[in-house]
Amino acid sequence: MITPSEIQAARRCITIALENGASASRVCLTKSVNDTCTMLNSELDKVTHSADRSVYIYLYVDGRYGTFSTNRLEEAELEAFIIKAIGMVRMLGEDLCRTLPDPSRTATDAKSGLELGLYDAAYEGTDADARLHTAESLSIYGSLAAGEDGFIETDGRRFRLISEECEYADSIDDIYTVDSQGFEGRHTETSFNCFTEMTIEDTEGNKYSSFWWEASPFIKDIHGQECSRTALQKAISQIGPKNRRSGLYRMVVDTAVASKLISPILSALNASSIQQKMSFLEDSIGKRMFPEGFTLMDYARTPGRTGARLFDTEGVATKDAPIIENGIVRQYFVNTYMANKMHIAPTVEDITRPCVLPYLRDEAIHSGSISRQDILRRCGNGILVTGFNGGNCNPTTGDFSFGVEGFAFRRGRITHPVREMLITGNLLTLWNSLLAAATDARPSTRWQIPTLAFDAVSFSA
Amino acid sequence: MNGTQYYLDTFKVGREQLRQLTATALAHGGDYSDLYFEYTTYFNLLLKDGVVSSGGFHTDYGVGIRVLKGEKTGYAYSENTEMADMLKAAQAASAIARGTGNGRAYQAVTDRAADLYPVTKCWRESSAEAFLPFLKAVEKAVFGKDGRVVKVIARLSNSVSDVMMYNSLDELTCDTRPMGSITVTAVFSQNGMTENMSASRSFRMGVEMITPELIDELAEQVTAGIDARFEAQRPKGGQMSVVMGAGASGILLHEAMGHAFEADFNRKGQSIFADKLGRKVCPEGINVVDDGTVSFNRGSGNYDDEGVSAEKTYMITDGVLTSYIHDRVSASWYGVAPTGNGRRENFRYNPIPRMRATYMESGNAAPEDIIASVKHGIYVDEFSNGQVKIGEGDFTFFVKSGYMIENGRLTMPVKDINIIGNGPQALADIIAVGNDLKIDNGTWTCGKEQSVPVSCGMPTTLISSLVVGGNQ
Repeated sequence: MITPSEIQAARRCITIALENGASASRVCLTKSVNDTCTMLNSELDKVTHSADRSVYIYLYVDGRYGTFSTNRLEEAELEAFIIKAIGMVRMLGEDLCRTLPDPSRTATDAKSGLELGLYDAAYEGTDADARLHTAESLSIYGSLAAGEDGFIETDGRRFRLISEECEYADSIDDIYTVDSQGFEGRHTETSFNCFTEMTIEDTEGNKYSSFWWEASPFIKDIHGQECSRTALQKAISQIGPKNRRSGLYRMVVDTAVASKLISPILSALNASSIQQKMSFLEDSIGKRMFPEGFTLMDYARTPGRTGARLFDTEGVATKDAPIIENGIVRQYFVNTYMANKMHIAPTVEDITRPCVLPYLRDEAIHSGSISRQDILRRCGNGILVTGFNGGNCNPTTGDFSFGVEGFAFRRGRITHPVREMLITGNLLTLWNSLLAAATDARPSTRWQIPTLAFDAVSFSA
Repeated sequence: MNGTQYYLDTFKVGREQLRQLTATALAHGGDYSDLYFEYTTYFNLLLKDGVVSSGGFHTDYGVGIRVLKGEKTGYAYSENTEMADMLKAAQAASAIARGTGNGRAYQAVTDRAADLYPVTKCWRESSAEAFLPFLKAVEKAVFGKDGRVVKVIARLSNSVSDVMMYNSLDELTCDTRPMGSITVTAVFSQNGMTENMSASRSFRMGVEMITPELIDELAEQVTAGIDARFEAQRPKGGQMSVVMGAGASGILLHEAMGHAFEADFNRKGQSIFADKLGRKVCPEGINVVDDGTVSFNRGSGNYDDEGVSAEKTYMITDGVLTSYIHDRVSASWYGVAPTGNGRRENFRYNPIPRMRATYMESGNAAPEDIIASVKHGIYVDEFSNGQVKIGEGDFTFFVKSGYMIENGRLTMPVKDINIIGNGPQALADIIAVGNDLKIDNGTWTCGKEQSVPVSCGMPTTLISSLVVGGNQ
């Protein structure tokens, strides 16, 4: 955790900067500790311990701006570093749009770092033995009974287990930001993670691998062997893929990978992309670019939820707000620099916790949950995408092409695995073919993107 | 390269302290330990909207300490080189050796490496002021090339890393690694349509890489092909022949086979090539190498990050899989010499097998004859990214631009399509290799667990069948 003397050192950086010619400055001190234990086939394979500490210094000098960082925090070295940095900033071109944010927009409620309840005191009691014990508890390698030929049989599927890699990791991240206008903010978060990757081989020598993970700010949410069982089940389910013809299919995208389709939208809503004419959502504020009824929220301030933050990197207070509301674009992500440059109102630098609200085309949502199975049933026939394999989206046009894998489904039931397929189209066209958004986003993820369904997607195979 | 004393002074340690640290790391019975000291300075400048109005520099300093017991790894690091903190890290790393486990002998391997990137003028000796005219000249050259350019973004970044490696076999190796990178993006507008093009160059060189010729080269590349980009359409998707143009097509090798040849995946049995060493994996006459010895290349290193000298490793020789690419751990497990592929992002990470410059050697076909031999297919030559599933061998790469081939001729321009295939199948389906190997010197970065600079290359190559994304 950041100590009082380190906080003093960060404040001292501001003083040094101002004393040496900066007109304004912001300093961000980050500190983190991370420990991992990795098991390979039920034996300890790797232990790592890391402890990082860095200071990031943002300098505004004579209408010019530069960013600097170092992990050498001794005061004498820091002073020389800042003086040298100010010298460099003076060589850059003038840009009067570079300013600190309006102080009235910065957060005032992030004093201790603990306000959002993302710190688990159990972290302090976790030692090397406890980590090893948890890592060992993840493994199911020894509990899988193989026959004399080395094959395991489960639900009529025969396979050999090639490898099981399990990892337990925990960490603490502590961030303290201070600026020359009086802003001070702190954010402290613990994280506990387990991850398993299983590789299996079928009777014909084909390999399949899959992974699963759990993550939470709280250790009580980590369930050990469930992670490995899920990874194994996912690997087994891929045995025996069949080819599928190219064509237009209904596409259901599992919540575990659905963020892939939201990410290009968020990039396109960034003011920097728009100002550089590299956004397919230019001039979209107030316009219905997405289907009526579709809403994407930023739930930045939900206590106890992974990724929640009270302030962005500039210190600006986050807020819970609609980004796309009922299909209408409500907000770009506009930092102070872009606001000055584009003569528009600033918002926040980026989205904090994106959340897609439940959606059913042509139907009002009243209450209750919508599961992936509900969506498969509604769609009838199509392809369920459970993994993306590469691909890209053109930021200026929204044209995309992604590799996918998953399962064919018929009458709402999964029939067989498919792989080596590609989906191609335009992101806005795709989103306007949205059929449904479920309510099954995993609580452990920062991005709350549920299972999604789209109509008439172009698949190549 | 600097002398050894320069590095000992930089990291404020002596040889006796190095020995004490490795001894502490092995206190619980490890087989091998090593220390990786690093001091890196980064520098960047960004030109946007006609002004170089942002930039900065960054420093990173520390030491990583690794202990091996058999193939098991213990790793910890310190962000300073005070003896007390380094000893703590050594003790933390030593924990891997507690308890039972089979040991393994690790052998000394270091030879004196060649100097692959002699520097005329070090980046650290130059100020930002010296590079402002260069970025402005790049911008001017790009605007001058095409009247449809509406924005130019140009970035110059460089780094210099001093590294010192010492291990329990009493091997001490040192290196200073320069890297300079330029990326240019131009945004074009035509009849209400917007498109963008990018070009980049990256070399292990000093300030001397900044030349007038480089400005012309970048301006030419970032504007050439924009007519086709505006005309380009999505093709009808499906299986077809694919001609990989010379140069950046090497991404195919990187994704389709390079990762699957990394020995850590094979040691664990996870790679689709795990049982194919010594077997024919593609047609005779094809050689695929991973090369750490290309002068000034982004992927090269005088030594890898375990102190092993750079080498040129033939992975496929005359169509036969002859070698995986190894770090010390996998080399010891396979009973072979390490190949100089033990690489890491920085001192915070333990080294693992990674590619360097991966390319296919030239064949004997004329590129134009290869295109002429295709009745219906696609020609691709500009890429952005790729990915692979190691076990299944399924790989993809994203094509920014290319052309359809109809009856042996390039026809409709295409863009923004993903191509997918299976590694072993794609290798077996190579039916022609051109005589025009070209290494691409763009800013390629590989992201397997950690980011490391790499490069790739390829002669014009025909693959009989891959799945091309497109309209239906």
